[in-house]
Formats: sequence, C-alpha cells, structure tokens
Amino acid sequence: MNNWPFRSVLVANRGEIAVRILRTVQSLGLEGAIVYHAADRDSKAVRMADKAVEITGKTPVGAYLDGAQIIDAARRVGAGAIHPGYGFLSENAEFARAVAAAGIVFVGPTPEQIELMGDKVRARAFVADGGFPVAPSAIEDDDPATFVERARQVPLPLLIKPAAGGGGKGMRIVRSLDVLEAEIERARSEGQRYFGDGRLYVECYVENPRHIEVQVLGDTHGNVVHLYERECSVQRRFQKIVEETPSPALSAELRREICETAAGIARKAGYRNAGTVEFIFGNGVFYFLEMNTRLQVEHPVTEVITGKDLVHEQLRIAAGEALGYGQEDVRSEGHAIEFRIYAEDPARGFTPTTGPVLTLREPADTRVDSGISQGQEVTAAFDPMLAKLIVAGRDRADAIARAERALADYVLLGCRTNTAFLRRLIQHPAFVAGDVHTGFLDANPAIAAEPELKVDTLHALLGAGALVTRSLRDPADLVPSLHAAIGDWSN
Amino acid sequence: MFHAFKLDDNEYDLGLSRAAQGYRLHLGDKTVPVELHPQDDGSALLHIDGVRRRVFIATRGDDVFVHLDGAAYHLRYEHPLARLSHQAHGSADDSVRAPMPGSVVAHHVKAGDSVSRDQSVLVIESMKMETTLVAPRDGVVAEIVYAVGQTFERDAVLLALAPVGE
Repeated sequence: MNNWPFRSVLVANRGEIAVRILRTVQSLGLEGAIVYHAADRDSKAVRMADKAVEITGKTPVGAYLDGAQIIDAARRVGAGAIHPGYGFLSENAEFARAVAAAGIVFVGPTPEQIELMGDKVRARAFVADGGFPVAPSAIEDDDPATFVERARQVPLPLLIKPAAGGGGKGMRIVRSLDVLEAEIERARSEGQRYFGDGRLYVECYVENPRHIEVQVLGDTHGNVVHLYERECSVQRRFQKIVEETPSPALSAELRREICETAAGIARKAGYRNAGTVEFIFGNGVFYFLEMNTRLQVEHPVTEVITGKDLVHEQLRIAAGEALGYGQEDVRSEGHAIEFRIYAEDPARGFTPTTGPVLTLREPADTRVDSGISQGQEVTAAFDPMLAKLIVAGRDRADAIARAERALADYVLLGCRTNTAFLRRLIQHPAFVAGDVHTGFLDANPAIAAEPELKVDTLHALLGAGALVTRSLRDPADLVPSLHAAIGDWSN
Repeated sequence: MFHAFKLDDNEYDLGLSRAAQGYRLHLGDKTVPVELHPQDDGSALLHIDGVRRRVFIATRGDDVFVHLDGAAYHLRYEHPLARLSHQAHGSADDSVRAPMPGSVVAHHVKAGDSVSRDQSVLVIESMKMETTLVAPRDGVVAEIVYAVGQTFERDAVLLALAPVGE
C-alpha cells in the first residue's frame, strides 16, 4: 500500500511490543513515534523510534495510562495514527473515542466493539445469541432475584466470575452447593474491590481445561478470516508462559470447527482489526470464553505459521484497506512455539526479580521479540516480561528440539530469569506428549523447583567465580609460578 | 587464606593458588586444577578437572554471574571481614526490608512514631497483590525510605528503626 492516510504512527506502549510495532511501521516507510516515561528513556524502543515524547505520571505505569497526554504527544509529532499495543489503553473504549475525536486513526476496533467484548456478560450473551457454544451458566443481571436459584441448576462444579473481570481475579470454584452462597458473597466483594463492580455470573467449570484461542482479522468492508488457533494452556497464576500453534489437542475436524466458530463470532460483531477469540476446551468440547480486541502477546506464533505480519494487517485495516484475500488463501505450515522470558524466580513462587542486564546474547536463527538491551536495568516498575523467544519447526517435535537449544543459548546475566525453568518444562513427558492443561504447573510443582546442583557444576561455578574475583586472584598471582610449581611437588 | 562465595542460600569456602599452568582451586580437602581463557566473542573457556566448557561471565561489585550449560547462576563474594562483623552485630532487626520488588501503597506510621513488634507499618504491592509489612521489634521509626507510589528492589530497606539505646 502506498497511499497511507497517515505518514506517522505513534506507539502508545513500551517494551518488546513497542519495538515489534516500530519494526513493521518503519519497514513500511512510515515514521514511527513513541511516548515514554523517564524510566524507559534509554530503552530499545525509544532509541529505535524516529520521534519520542516524554510523558509523566505519578507512577511509570500511570504515564502510559494517561490518554490525554498521549493524544497531545501524537499531535505534537504530527502522528496520524496511534497503535496501542496490548495492555495499557489497548482495550479502553474512551481512549479509542478520544483518539478519533482528535482526528487521529486508532489502530484497533470501534469503541462499541471494545465495549461489547469488554463486558464479559454482554459478550457471552451476544455469542450465545448467534448460536455459538457457551458453557451452561447463570447470569445475575438476567434476573438478580433468582440468581442463586438459577446458579443451583448449573451442573457442578461451578465457576463464579465477576462480570467485569479478567486475569483470573475474583474467580472461585464451587464443588458443593453447600458453600455456593458463601462463595458468591466472597466473589462479589472481590469483584467490588478489583473492578468496582460486584455483578457476577456462574458457569459450568471444565476440570483440567485447555486454553485454545483463535486469531481473527476483520476489515471495514465486512471481510473476516481466521488465522488458525493457538494453544496457551501452560500458565502460572492465570498468565500464559508458553504458546504454540497448531494445538496438539485438536483433531483436524475440531480445528476447523473452532476456527470457523471464532470467525463466525467476529463476523457477527462486524469486527474490525486483529482480534482473538478465546475458548475453554475439555472433554472434546469447547466453549467461548472471551474475545480480546487487540494484538496479543503471543501473536508471533501465528505469524510464523501463516507468513502474515499482523501489525501490517492491523495498519492496513485501520487505513481502510480491504483484506484482499479469503480464508482459502490463509495457510498454516509447520509448528511454532513462543516462550515468554520473565524476570522472575520460578523456585520462589515466580516472584519478580530485578537487576542489571550485564550480558545479553540472543540465540542465532531464532526470532526474539525483546524490549531490553545490554546495559539497562530491570526494575520493578513494569510487568516482568523481558522478551519472547519464538521457535519454528517442521513439526512439534522439531520445534521442541530447537527450543531446547535456543533456550540454552539465551544468555542474560545480572538478573535472574525463567529460562532454565522453561527448559525443564519442555523436557517434561507430559509437555512432550502435548498433554497439558491450565492447572498443569500447579499440579507439577517439581518443574518450578531448583534442581540440586551437580558437583562438577558447582566446581565449575566456584572456579569461574574465583578467577574473576580480584580478592582471590591477586593474592594467588603474588606467589611466583616457580614457587607454585614447588608447591605442587611438596603437596 | 580462605574466601567464600554465596550461591543461592548456601555458602562455599574456597581458596585459590597458582599452579605451574593455571591455578588450583582448594575446596575443603579437594584440589581442582582450573584455567580460564577469555575469547573474542565475549565468552570464556573454562578448563576444570580436565573438562573444557564455554561460559559467559559478568561481574558487578562482589556479584559474579555465570552462564554455564544453558543456565545462569549468581555467586556473591563474601568479604571475610564483613562476614565477621555481620556475625557479631546481627543488625537485621533494625529495619524492614522488601521481601520482593514492588511499590509502596501506604504508610501506616511516620518517622518518630513508636511502634511495637508485629505492628503493621507499611503496605506494599507486588505482582498485583498487596502485602502488609510489620515492625520486627518494639522501637521508634527513624526513617521511611520510600514515598507512596515509589518502587523498590528486593532486599531494599523500606523502613529503619532507631538503634536500641539511642
């Protein structure tokens, strides 16, 4: 496309995703601008951007949530479009509206689509109304007076969720109707506390479920395609850490069914932009979970198997262009796995770690989407995700073998990361067999535990440590080697 | 003279001396030959006990970081004198330290306040969870180091109590 309605795109984000977006923006010959908080002044994204505007806030995160400041920055650099990335303002309908009101293109869906999918209860009703599968449920808003009564009719076990929820907050599993009412009250107060909204819904809980999601693209001309599924069942604290495509859990028939369902939901919504329809899968059936109306962290695996650049597609759609291809033109080839590299200590309950990035070496022949660079400091100010390692293989076994090598070759010194843990994870027989579910890591705490240090490893570490520590090496060097040699004989 | 490195929660005593070629590492009653040869690509070849391995090493102050066989390790050199004085004083009770990195959500006390052991003094947030921190002993608050909203690293001193007897 040569006639872009905007010449400059402002990235309202930071870290690896800002780098990722700028890469495509600049490769298209467009100008890439960015906003940044002082904590990110020396970051890779800010150095890469053609223009950068500092924004301020009570906290660094607060700066990236300040829509008015960001829109003002876009005006100052003459940006004709704003790409929100993921997180922060990416699913904020008010922000999308304000951007449009300022005469700037929002690289995302319409505010109404964000609102529809952001309200979990409305989204569910919308999907069910289209005849798509949702889990058996009871929704408080339908008739608050009979909510508990209706909840009792849903098959056990139950999952109570806040209507305004997300990220696993305030969710409660109920296995006995005796405690139903007490748990509803608890979920209500948590929902109130986290989201300022105590409305709930209850649905049938799938034991050991798998998380499978489908990438979709919709343009302003009513065209919708899916770009196949991603399986994201390996999670800790309801956060994904490994994502892959294709899913090892689906037969060809189920794969087609779940992908067509996702495309159908997007079509019914008249969806514009890249989006992800998430499903819960278990016992051979899948249910709609929610739809995310933005680029996902794990989008690169889809790019690997389909050959599409999703940020490019988002920009084309935002510019009003038609997709220009149909479902039959979207192919899936090979297997891709993404690993999220976190500054955290798996053996200490996945608590975040901090420290300087003294040495950084990325593995060769592997896509690494990274927001960090050597010399910077990893702080507690932001999410602890540092980078994503994306491996591609002919098939799943090939991808796992390459991942083993790539994870071992990812060198980051100065701040502890989860790479050794990820290597243990992919060697686990259940992972190798593709037999995982969202509770897999909780059920297998041994994977997170630090393995016992081997004696030869310990010796190597102490030897390396001793030889680079002057307090040890200098005194040793003071003894001339001739005496040292005599010392050898006298031993 | 013997030195020590801390690795995770363990401490290892060791000594180093020159050998005809390279060095000797003394670990208890064991002596292990060791050599380290830096390479142009930033890695180094570590010869130890007859085996050669490629490692990456970085240092900052007394911290030594080593990437070995696909995993990263963190060693900390323990100064012999500092170890002795630490054992003698045991000043851990004079401060509240951060159990993990995060940010300050609320102060429950201010400098000059008298506090009693286990009284809640600060609320911090980390990993989207709030944690209340308590005073380690009875005493008077000497300083609250971080303002509400400020972020800190793990082990940072968040609140200091006035030393006993002052």
